[in-house]
Amino acid sequence: MPRYLIRRLGQAVLVVAGVIVLTFAVMRLVPGDPAVAYAGPKATAAELAEARRRFGLDDPLPVQLWNYVRDLLGGDWGTSLHTRQPVRDDLFQAFPASLELVGAALIIALVVGIPLGIAAARYKGRLPDLSVRLSSMLAVSVPVFWLALALQTVFASGLGWFPVAGEYDASLDRTSPLHLYTNITAVDALITGNWPILTSTLSHLVLPALVIAAYPAGVVAQMTRAALIEESSRDHARLERALGFGETAVLTRFALRPALNPVLSLIALVFAYSIVNGFLVEAVFNWPGLGRYAADSIRSLDTPAIAGVTLLVAVLYVVANLAVDLLQGVVDPRVRAR
Amino acid sequence: MRWHKRLLAAGAVAAVTVTAAACSGGQVRGAADSTPQPGSSAGSAGGTADSTFVYVPNLDVVTDWDPASSYSNENIAMENIYESLTRYNPQTKKAEPRLAASWTSSPDGKKWTFTLREGVKFHTGKPVDAAAAKAAIERTMKEGQGAAYIWGAVKKIEAKDATTLEFTLKYPTPLDLVASAGYASYVYDTAAASGDLKKWFGEGHDAGSGPYTIESWQKGKETELTLKAFDGYWGGWDGQHYKKIAYRVTPELTTAWQLLQRGEVSFVQRLNSQLFAQAGSTDTVQTSQTPSFQNLLVLFNTADGPLKDVKLRQALQKAIDYDGLVAAMKGSGVAASGLVPDGLLGNVPGMTPKQDLAGAEALLKEAGYGPGGKQLDLTLTYAQGDADQELLVTLLSSALDKLNVKLSAKPLQWTTQWDQGKAKDPSKRQDIFVMYWFPDYADAYSWFVNVFHGEKDVQFNLSYLKDAAIDKEIDELPALTATDKAAAEKAYADLQNKIIGEQAAVAVPYVQNYQRAFAKSVQGYVDNPAYPNVVFVYDLKPGA
Repeated sequence: MPRYLIRRLGQAVLVVAGVIVLTFAVMRLVPGDPAVAYAGPKATAAELAEARRRFGLDDPLPVQLWNYVRDLLGGDWGTSLHTRQPVRDDLFQAFPASLELVGAALIIALVVGIPLGIAAARYKGRLPDLSVRLSSMLAVSVPVFWLALALQTVFASGLGWFPVAGEYDASLDRTSPLHLYTNITAVDALITGNWPILTSTLSHLVLPALVIAAYPAGVVAQMTRAALIEESSRDHARLERALGFGETAVLTRFALRPALNPVLSLIALVFAYSIVNGFLVEAVFNWPGLGRYAADSIRSLDTPAIAGVTLLVAVLYVVANLAVDLLQGVVDPRVRAR
Repeated sequence: MRWHKRLLAAGAVAAVTVTAAACSGGQVRGAADSTPQPGSSAGSAGGTADSTFVYVPNLDVVTDWDPASSYSNENIAMENIYESLTRYNPQTKKAEPRLAASWTSSPDGKKWTFTLREGVKFHTGKPVDAAAAKAAIERTMKEGQGAAYIWGAVKKIEAKDATTLEFTLKYPTPLDLVASAGYASYVYDTAAASGDLKKWFGEGHDAGSGPYTIESWQKGKETELTLKAFDGYWGGWDGQHYKKIAYRVTPELTTAWQLLQRGEVSFVQRLNSQLFAQAGSTDTVQTSQTPSFQNLLVLFNTADGPLKDVKLRQALQKAIDYDGLVAAMKGSGVAASGLVPDGLLGNVPGMTPKQDLAGAEALLKEAGYGPGGKQLDLTLTYAQGDADQELLVTLLSSALDKLNVKLSAKPLQWTTQWDQGKAKDPSKRQDIFVMYWFPDYADAYSWFVNVFHGEKDVQFNLSYLKDAAIDKEIDELPALTATDKAAAEKAYADLQNKIIGEQAAVAVPYVQNYQRAFAKSVQGYVDNPAYPNVVFVYDLKPGA
């Protein structure tokens, strides 16, 4: 196991290093002068020169790359041209909100997707199965932006069941100030027993989390169904049926556990995907996460911020992949031997 | 331990790790004062029961809190926190009293004396006197960032007594207009912080004298900024006023519209044409349309390439479908009359251009081009992602196609477009450069000195016009505006005739139109194009 761990960690480090170089190259290949983006379109030549000096844009490219890597390792992710704040601080502000949203979405995806997958496998080829397959296909293929606008128009603006936008009712900041420990609003509200903010956050979470949950719920339902059907056709299932267990019991008591292995692996990968997929949803629901930060950065050609978001998302993918590989190594010794 | 328990444990460890990574160490989000403000319930923005005015911008509010260097979207908040000596009124086309109760200027326009209002205090508690105003403006000039250049004419500032502030200028300039600028004109308490003032501002403090002061600022949050009434405001709080302002950042226009429809917000900065039309027919919402001070300039390369021939430039001016473009913009633009938008000294009524394809064809023929003649190939650059500019390019390409003119149009990011426009090698520059222009203070001089005055190194003169007679007339504009407004008016008209008519260096297809939607309960809103997107909330009344 240690050799496997070291090998996988080494590969992960190589991938992250590649992403850093690629991010740097993209930053420098983007047309336009970052100094102009910082100093403004009406900046004088002296102001532009000062901006170039400040960001080291006058140095040769290899020196700039070296400085970039050195600063990254030292925890300095650069300064946003738009917010004028350290990119790392901006990301620390925005990422917990995205984590909160995607976390809620994945919980919904599991709670909805797994039972649907079981039902589809139980009634394979019959109406429930067809319904689940059709709805999961829809959930996977519907554009999130459209779904977000549709749910917002119907359930928030039309019926008024949920808030239109935001993370929680901002007026609560005055009446119920929130102590921050994790920067994840729902978690902090729960830890500190701040019920007004907790209930407000949960009601604001429902619609955006449902939209983001659509894709993983569909995938989880389909994968659970497929894995259960495969598992229930194995020898052990035949034995269980011969011992008098009903079909539902065979699926839920015996086939489900092994079938969930690939589903859980999938969830880790879907997590990183959902962070990016959630960018548009965050825009529609005014969720103060990475999506809004990325959109603002792109709009203002804020290359350090764009690079920061790219690097963070890439690291999330790498970490998620690594976690899956290591977990599979723990679960299945054959993986470690490969 | 069985595999799934280990899996669960690993998951729990991962969750704790992620949580710890995001840990911020026990800060408090929200006001330390947990006392509910009177009548500050959510959900009825704009009503009398709620004296919070909720403003919906599409972009983040604050980039720079320093009133000396601030030069971005934060003006929508800064104008409610800080005050300048004067404020521009587009109806009268004059500066009006703000911190200065009155002012005079010498006959040569080189000495300006402002008499400050008495009894005004900064939010820090210190008095706003002539010495404080001098210190603030001198600090802004010394910092030299953002729009600080507006004070370029100032040679010396003297505080003659507590209320008398005297400016001596290097050359005549309409300083009352300069002092009304939306940026870099603020008077603030330079002694507000014991240490680094810039750093202190950056932490979300203010040192203004305006009706509102910062209550909370949470960068990146939906309600990014909240301002509260400054009890000691010189205007007083008698009568009906909003006591708080919340800035709720909403990039998505449909979301902004739904928030307004539900009565959760008071004012939406921008909607698209469909939503704006919908707002116009919604009972609980009112709308306003006001031409801005920002117009689109189609700059022709007067120095190099085929457009060096003035006939071709005039043909292009005639080929633009001005009316079709404005109609297609569905209210987001209005017809322009000359270079100077309405509401500014120098605007000339009756200069609205019209498409004249026959005239364009005749001019092209005179130059050896046009249908049946040589094909004319032109390059054009415009702003990537700007739907209105894209519309202009589509209509222009289609019109020119019929005239045997092939337009190669490139949408570019501003920095790339500008770099190409400034290329040292003239052959690398475009034939037509499309860009917006707006003044930093309410003075038409900005268009002329920046865009059409001869330059050694190209900055914004992207028609590359070099005409000594025009330059001389432009140089005289500030003095005329400061001393003889009627003569200035005439000079502006004459210059526009020369630049648009004789030189055909530019075409002005439209002026951008501000389309605002706001709650029916908001009373007294007037858009002031001299302060883009600013709502002077103190002037409003929260209605029923």
